[in-house]
Order: sequence, then C-alpha cells, then structure tokens
Amino acid sequence: MNKIRATIAILMAISSVSIFFTSCKGKISDRMIIVTRSTASTDISNTNTSSWRYIPQSQIVLIDPDRSESSEKILTTAFYSARAPQVSYDGTHMIFAGQLKQTDPWSIWEMDLNDMKYKGIIALKENCIDPQYLPGERIVCSKFTQNDSLKSEHSLFTCNIDGSNFKRITFNPYTYVASQVLKDGRILTLGSQVYPKKGKRMLMVLRPDGTKTDIFYCSDQSNVLTSPATETTDGRIVFIEAGNNPGEKGNVISITYNRPLHSRVNLTAGIGGDFYSVVAGRSGKLLVTYRKSKTDRIALYEFDPETKSLGKALYDDHGYDILEAVEAGPHEKPKKLPSEVDMGVKTGLIMCQDINVTENHYSGKESSRIEIAGIDSTLGIVDAAADGSFYLKVIADKPFQIKTIDKNGKIISTPCGWIWLRPNERRGCVGCHQNPEMVPGNKVPLAVKKSPVNIPMHINKVVEKKVSLE
Amino acid sequence: MKTSRIISVVLFFSVLGLLIYFPGRKWARGHVNYQTAVTDHPLNCLSCHLYTQKTGFLSKVINRKYMSPFNLAVSRSGERLYVVAQEDNALLVVDPYKNQVLNKIKVGNYPHSVILSNDEKKAYVSNQWSDEVSVIDLESSRVIDTLKTGNGPAGMSLSADNKSLFVVNSFASSVSMIDLATREEVKRLDTGNNPTGTQLSPDGKTLYVTSRRALIAPYGDTLKSEITAVDEGTSRISERRNIESAYMMENVAFTPSGDLAILTMIRPKNLVPSIQVENGWMMTYGIVVIEQKENGRVIQLLLDEPNKYYSDPFDIVITPDGKKAFVSHSGVNTISALSIDSIRSLIARSTPEQLKSFSNNLGISSRYVLKRIATGADPKGLALSSDGKLLYVAEQLEDRIGVISTDSLTTLGTIGLGGPKKITVARQGRRLFNNSGHTFQTQFDCYTCHPDMHEDGLVYNMASKDMGRNLTNTQSLRDIGDTPPYKWNGKNQTVYKQDGMRFSTVLTRTEAFNYKDLDAITAYIITGIPYPPNLLYNPKGELTESQLRGKAIFERSKDSYGKEIPENNRCITCHQPPYYTNLKMAYVKTLAWSDDSMLFDTPHLNNIFASPPYLHDGRAATLEEIWTKYGKDDKHGVVNDLSKIQLNDLVDYLKSLRAPQYEFNDLKKVQARKKTNK
Repeated sequence: MNKIRATIAILMAISSVSIFFTSCKGKISDRMIIVTRSTASTDISNTNTSSWRYIPQSQIVLIDPDRSESSEKILTTAFYSARAPQVSYDGTHMIFAGQLKQTDPWSIWEMDLNDMKYKGIIALKENCIDPQYLPGERIVCSKFTQNDSLKSEHSLFTCNIDGSNFKRITFNPYTYVASQVLKDGRILTLGSQVYPKKGKRMLMVLRPDGTKTDIFYCSDQSNVLTSPATETTDGRIVFIEAGNNPGEKGNVISITYNRPLHSRVNLTAGIGGDFYSVVAGRSGKLLVTYRKSKTDRIALYEFDPETKSLGKALYDDHGYDILEAVEAGPHEKPKKLPSEVDMGVKTGLIMCQDINVTENHYSGKESSRIEIAGIDSTLGIVDAAADGSFYLKVIADKPFQIKTIDKNGKIISTPCGWIWLRPNERRGCVGCHQNPEMVPGNKVPLAVKKSPVNIPMHINKVVEKKVSLE
Repeated sequence: MKTSRIISVVLFFSVLGLLIYFPGRKWARGHVNYQTAVTDHPLNCLSCHLYTQKTGFLSKVINRKYMSPFNLAVSRSGERLYVVAQEDNALLVVDPYKNQVLNKIKVGNYPHSVILSNDEKKAYVSNQWSDEVSVIDLESSRVIDTLKTGNGPAGMSLSADNKSLFVVNSFASSVSMIDLATREEVKRLDTGNNPTGTQLSPDGKTLYVTSRRALIAPYGDTLKSEITAVDEGTSRISERRNIESAYMMENVAFTPSGDLAILTMIRPKNLVPSIQVENGWMMTYGIVVIEQKENGRVIQLLLDEPNKYYSDPFDIVITPDGKKAFVSHSGVNTISALSIDSIRSLIARSTPEQLKSFSNNLGISSRYVLKRIATGADPKGLALSSDGKLLYVAEQLEDRIGVISTDSLTTLGTIGLGGPKKITVARQGRRLFNNSGHTFQTQFDCYTCHPDMHEDGLVYNMASKDMGRNLTNTQSLRDIGDTPPYKWNGKNQTVYKQDGMRFSTVLTRTEAFNYKDLDAITAYIITGIPYPPNLLYNPKGELTESQLRGKAIFERSKDSYGKEIPENNRCITCHQPPYYTNLKMAYVKTLAWSDDSMLFDTPHLNNIFASPPYLHDGRAATLEEIWTKYGKDDKHGVVNDLSKIQLNDLVDYLKSLRAPQYEFNDLKKVQARKKTNK
C-alpha cells in the first residue's frame, strides 16, 4: 500500500514539475512590454529625414518592467535591424519589419512569441515597413513604390497572414506609413501628398479594402505629426506632434475618436523635454518614450493622461534610445469590416450633392461645371446638374482631383485632394471643400436621375460584369 | 435469445446512428447552408428548430414573459414610481427608496403611457392595443373606470383645470378630448401622421402633439412631419407646423418658462442614395427647438458627433429650473444631458443661415451636450423627481428603472421590476434588433427603419446597382416568420440570409452578426413580433356590408361582365389567407424605369391598412391608388371593370384584414362547423 502511495506521490511530483516547466517555457506575461531600441547616433527625432522609419541597428527587445534589466530578452538577434513590432490580437505572435543584413531591403516578419521562432511574410526588392495586424487574419503594411506611375512613395498593401493575396489599397500620389487599426476596423495611417508638391502629414483613415479614404486629423500650421497614432481604451487617439522646425519638442497629443478634428488637447504642454512615441496601454495609462534633454537617451515611461503626469521610467538603458513600445498579451480585436470591392468591376461611382456648397452652407458662387484632373492630364469636364450635383463613373484605382469652374471656365474652387475609387466603390460628397462635419441634406440629387458620366470622358462604354450586391 | 436480441438492438442503433451521422450530416449541412446562405454556420439544430418555435409546449418552456417598462411617472413626494409594463399589460407601483414593486395593477392591452391627476389620487394609463384608458385609483390600486378612446391611444395630457383628458390616438392620427366628468369623448381632432407624444404648455394654453411618420408624399418631395398645436381654450387646432426633413418626433417637452418647446426627432437620408454610412449618409438624430413667441423660429439641432451617432431618441424631459434637458437614445443605451442655456445662447447669436446649417452639422452638439450617460438596454420613457434632482429611466429591455443624478450626471443605481432573470434567445435578439452597436459608428439599428418592429413609412434609394435606382418601400417585420422569401425581389430565402453577411455589406457596413447573435435576432424576428389588433377597421371579426362585398370581389373568379378572370390574375390566387400571400414571385407590371428587371415577392396583406405608402417603391399613397393610378392595364388583378363603389368595397375589405392568427381561428371555426354539420 505504501509503495503505491509513494509511486503516486512521485508521479504527481514529476507531473507538477513538468507542467511547471512546460507552462514557463517561453511564456510571456501580459505585463511584459516589447520595445524597439537603437544605438544609432543619427538624430532619430528628426522626422524629416528619409531614415525616420528606417532606423539602422535597432533591436526588438522583450522587457518585464517589474523585474530587473537582466530580464530583458532580445527577440531579433538574427537581424541587422528590426522595428515596428505589433502583437497579434490573441497575444501569441508578433509582426515586425526587419533587415537580416544591412544591405537587405526591409521586409515583414512574424514571430511566434511562445518559441520565438520567426518566419518571413513579405520579402520584396522594395522596402516594406510598418506592418499591422488586421482582423480576419490579414495584415497591412507600407511598401515603397519606386518609379510608380501614380507618383506615390509608400503605398499601403494588405495580404493574408502568410503573405499571400498581396494587394495594393492606396492609389494616389501620397506616402502612407505607420498604420494602426481603429476599433471600428478602419486603418488609421499617416499620409502626406508627394506630388505635385509635398504636402503636410495628416492622419488619414480608410477601410482595409482601400475604400472611403478620408482625412481624420490634420495638425495646424505650426505643428507636424511625428508618430503613429493609437486608440486608447476610453475612445481617444494619441500621437506625437512636434513644432515645424527641426529639433522642436515633441508633445503627446490627444484627440477624441468621436470628434477628431476639433478635440485636440496637448497632454504634455507643461512638461519639459521631448516625447518621441506614445502607445495606449490596457490600463488606460500611456506608454511614452521620452527624454529630458537632447543629451539624454530616450527612455520608456508610463504616462497618466488624466493627471497629465509622467510616471516612473519603465525601461531606461543608457546605451540605447527607446524608439517605441507595445504591450505583450492579448488585446481587443477591431471589427472586421465587410468589403464592397469587386475586382470584376473596372470602375467606381462618385456623386456630389452640390458643388456650390462650401464650408457650412451654399456658397452663392456659380460653379456650373467640374474639371476632373488625372496625374498627367485632364480626364474630362462635366456639367453639373441644375441643383449643382454630379455623378461620375470613374476608372478604378486611378487618382484624380476635382475642381469647380464657372460657365466661362474660370476656376471657382481649387482642386480637392487626390481621390481614388476602388472597383465597385461608391462614394458621396456633400459639396466641395465643405465642412467635413457636414452631413448630406435629404434630397434626391438630380444627377443620379441620369446615367453617370464616364471618366475619362473619351471612354464611350465600360463593359462591366454584372454587379449584384443584394 | 436475449443475447441475440441485444445484438440486434445494438446493430439497429449503430446502423441508424451511422445513417444519421453520414448521409444525415451531409443532408443537414446542405439544409443549414441553404437556410443561412453560408457554408460555415454551426450545425446546431436547436438554434433554428427550438428557438424559433412560435407556439406550443416548447415555446412556453424556452420563452419568458418580461415586463418591458416603457413609460413612467413619479409622484411629487418621490415616494412612488408608476411604471407601464408594456408586455405584462400592467401598471407597476414601485417604491424607489426600498427598491421594491409594491403593486401590479392589470390594465388593458399593450399599455403605452401613464400620467397622474393633479391631486395624485388617480393614474391614467393609455392602452394602445385596446383603445381605452384605464383610470386607476391609486389609494386602492384598482382600475375604477375605463374610458373609450380613438385607435391606438398613446401620449396623454390633462387640461390645465384637470377636467379634460387629451389622448393621442397613434394609429388613427388624431387626438381625443375626453370630459372626465361625463367620461365622454367630446372632441376628436386630426393630427399629423402616427402621433404619440403630447404636452401642455406651462401657461396651459397650448397642447402640442408630435407625429412619428412623415406626411405621405411622392418620393423626392421634401420630407415633412407635422407638429400639431391645439388651443386648449377653444379645443381647436391653432397651428399645424410641418417640420422639414425630420420624422419620428416621439415626444415633446416645454421649458418651465415656456419659451421653448423641444422635440426628439430623426433626420433620415432616404432620398440620398444609400452608398455609404460614413459622414451621416444614412441617418442623423437630434432635437427640434420651437420658439414660443410670435414668428418663433423652428431650429433643428443634431445630437450626434462626427464619428458617433446617438440613434433612436425617444423621450425628453426638462428640469424644473429649466437648465438641463435629458434625451433617451434607445438605440445606443445612452442618455444625453443638454444645457438649455447653451442652446438658447447658440440660437440667439446665430444667423438664419447658420441655424439652417446646424441641422446637418455633426460637430454642433459639442456646444450644448453636457454629458452622455450609459444606461441599460433600450432606455425609453423618462421622468424627473419634482425637485429635478433625480432622473428615472425606463430601461425597456432590462426590466428595470435606472436612477440618475441630474447634478453629477452619474448613475446612482437601478430598480429591478421583478422580471425574469433569464435572458432568452429571442429576448437577446430583441436587444440586438433595438441596438445600433452592429452598425458602423452606431448610425442606426433595425428598429430605426422598423419602429415598433413595423416599418417607418419611408421609401429608400437602396442603390443596389447604380445610384438613383431601385427605390425600396420599407416592409413591416410583424409576424413574417412564415412568409419567405424576403425583400421585394425575394432574393433572401430566410431571415437568416436577410440578416446575415448581405445585411452587413449593404446596410450596416460593419462586422456582420456572429452566428450566436444571428441565431438570436432570427429567433426574435420569427417568434416575437405580433400584429396589433385591427380595431380601426375590423374590431370584432365581423365584416361590414361594404367589406363583405369587397371580400366577394377579392375572391371572385368572374368579372362584372361574367367573363372568367384568368386564375393568376385573381386577388385570391396570389394573396391567399392566412398571410394573404402565396409566397411566390409574381409579375404585376409595376416595374419602374429605375428598377432592375425582376419579379416581385408577393407581399403579405395582414393589417395592410397600417402600411402606406404601397407597392415596392411606395408610389401609391393609398390602397386605392394601386389600381386607379397604377393598375390601369389589369395586370395586378382585374379591377378596371369595377365601379367606384365596388373599388371602395374592395379597399374596405383590404383594410379589414387582420393578423394571421384570426385567420387560423376562423379556419378552425369553419372546420368545426363542417364537423358538426356532418
């Protein structure tokens, strides 16, 4: 009997030890933080340089802020440089941009956070950076598009988590980087015009299929966006904005999701030093990277947005600048948006209610036509309907701008930003340069009582496959 | 022998099991795929075959009877709440301090509102589905009288002298004035379409009656909904104001000084092609502010924000100091607290052009919204304590009352009403039906276009192919479980498909319902939406002479000249009882130039009187117009041989059609009679 008892006890002890070690192996606690650090001597806070998103010799490191520095673990030892880590919604994987060798282009990689094994997802001749998980087992990233006929720089692409089904989703002469995903399922990205002249960096929003692109937030003239933006648990969007002049201090800015264009609050106005990046934490606190002075290294801190106060340093290594951070562990999955894109269709439709509505109301101006301009040429001049509405069928995935003109051809409204329509996308505008917080009036636009005008106008007929959404 | 028997039984069940598992499973997969129009819906027989049971033992076992508080009143002392339990046909007397239901007083069918007499000795409860007001003695907690009203009594108000009761007849679009001494209805005045809310001005001179449905007008005309002002002194209509581009004006409140009347409202975008949800292209929500002075202005202010919509505003109350207003948004489980002074200030310093632009400006709400306060599911009626310190909220699908501090604008607690603790699948479906959380930026929910689970009387440009095409008249969802297919073009064979992925891609434009939620909302739609009784045209199931003549025309096989009517062109062929549809597709030559070529799903006709306008694109304002204006070629039934009187008879009969259960009952009676005769 005693023998049996002893045997059971031994077996139980062995099982317990096995379970203990199995569970500990590679287990990452939700308290842990994944940071990117760099020894680079270049001024990484200068976001106007081409190396802003390409920091050489940067490392992705797992740290436990509750434990000593010795607990840190370099996750990308095999890489010459790696950055932009993002954790999957279930907390089991990490996606990041990396270079195995200095001469390699930046590629997209994924690491299993249980065993730290990594695999390549996207490896192209051009740089691919700033990956982010999308709901539905897909990812979005920025790819450099050299000698592009659309004259863009970094365009957004999406693909399956294994790298297949790689698709471009932005089609205008802009550059898009540092994408995040809002809880509503849309991509929030930093976009700026690069052609015909360089424009200001803005927060842009679009659906993961590339439809319904819109401005989410634009800094005032004296400031520039210098970091990705992330959404907090209480419905705010936080990011870093710095003065226009090189070397000016970066501040943590908060806007609300509900009204992003008119809710800007500088959370760090009363704090000296320089903020470099910010990310929303699960607890409601923010993780910021910050340095007190130019001579200091950038370190990771906790920041309380309620009291607007900087907490303790979570990770401070004098040999490194801490570029960014992301919490380990599972986090809320955004909504998976349905797609209206149908690649069997060659066009998209756009309708405007009244080209004479600007700002908040009817402008009183007498625009009677619009000119649709492509990258290199005019695509057509179209008469507006008597109520100022127009209705166009535009070749998909080609950028265009619209300006309003009067009956004598005089320009009334300068061109809007570059727009594109995805195949089968349908979009509406209230007016031209109207207040973006305006909604359409409830009226039937006269233009939609007729067939849409084909753009470019020299196309007489577009043969579509039959569309049947309903 | 025994062993062989056991082996036989085991073998039998093994073979049966294998048959069920392999061919049966394949068949089940195909069946579920057809029902749901997807290939990965879990093979869970219960989700469809159990939770969609409408009647019988199983239905009783799985479902519960809830309270569903809808409106409420509070005594001046604050010691009693009087809560309308709509689904329980009762008035609950609640002690808010002890958190206890003291009494349950049974009233009429489907009660709507409650008000107290000035001396607080009586309560009046309008019973929307039994056309009466229950008069309750509050001391004895007993119904002491029943007052007859018009059809669908809803909001009520007492005259300033407390001698007359004004009752809004929501289905008949009128307001009744009842002399409380004689118990007689002394006057009935026409109001806007489908009125519900009413309030007497603080000076006791003007009674406002709101309306929910817009006035019937051709598609493309500016949408207008009426607010009706009654001169309390003369008991005559003093003004009819058409509020442009708004509808669903559920309730109204006056400021204590009487300078403003404020109504809740929805500004729909049914005339705009439904091509996107972003930027308020489907629905917006807000208030109508009416200045109470000579040439007073009417201003519409949105309560939404650019990326967040506050759907289905229902009730509004204003604090006794006139400083704050509270609006319940049943679609987002939220109360908006508004600053009245900020509204006054905004109105005072804005030009007419600016004021006009506010009705389409999502940012303007930041000027007067003080706070958004979360509530339980489906907040409906509101009541303030006499000192204005406490706000009570009827949380309809939570079976409880929320209590909010009007000073701190925080929730202090809740009062349970003793409803079932278990949330059934169908109840969860109803919560989903009423909640905008499954629409991009919470812009609308099923209830928004299907108020009272019916329809909103609007025609939408669904723009399925090109913009400006395929106008769609909203259809009622009452008792539709047995009337597949769905949509006018009949493309959805089941409710599952109707509310599945397609719903998300074309309408809500956010993540589709997960399958658990889809099962729940399907269970609710199939089992839980009854028709109100047709008390207006067929109160007792006995047809009038005109209706009987109309019935004969409806069922005829020969025209007035004795010529045989082809079977497929008789009313009764396609519109067979009990649902008055043969569930088949038909060609009735009603396609418009803007329609894609298609056949139409034959619509059900139960309670058809309550669903104007008619035809798939709502072009017929009345039932009569279906034939006088749009049926000239006799393709939608042979009618051109009918005289005007005969057509009137036919229309009278159609208006008499009731809920399908009456048809089932009639059928049973006929069968019983036949048996007896035999």
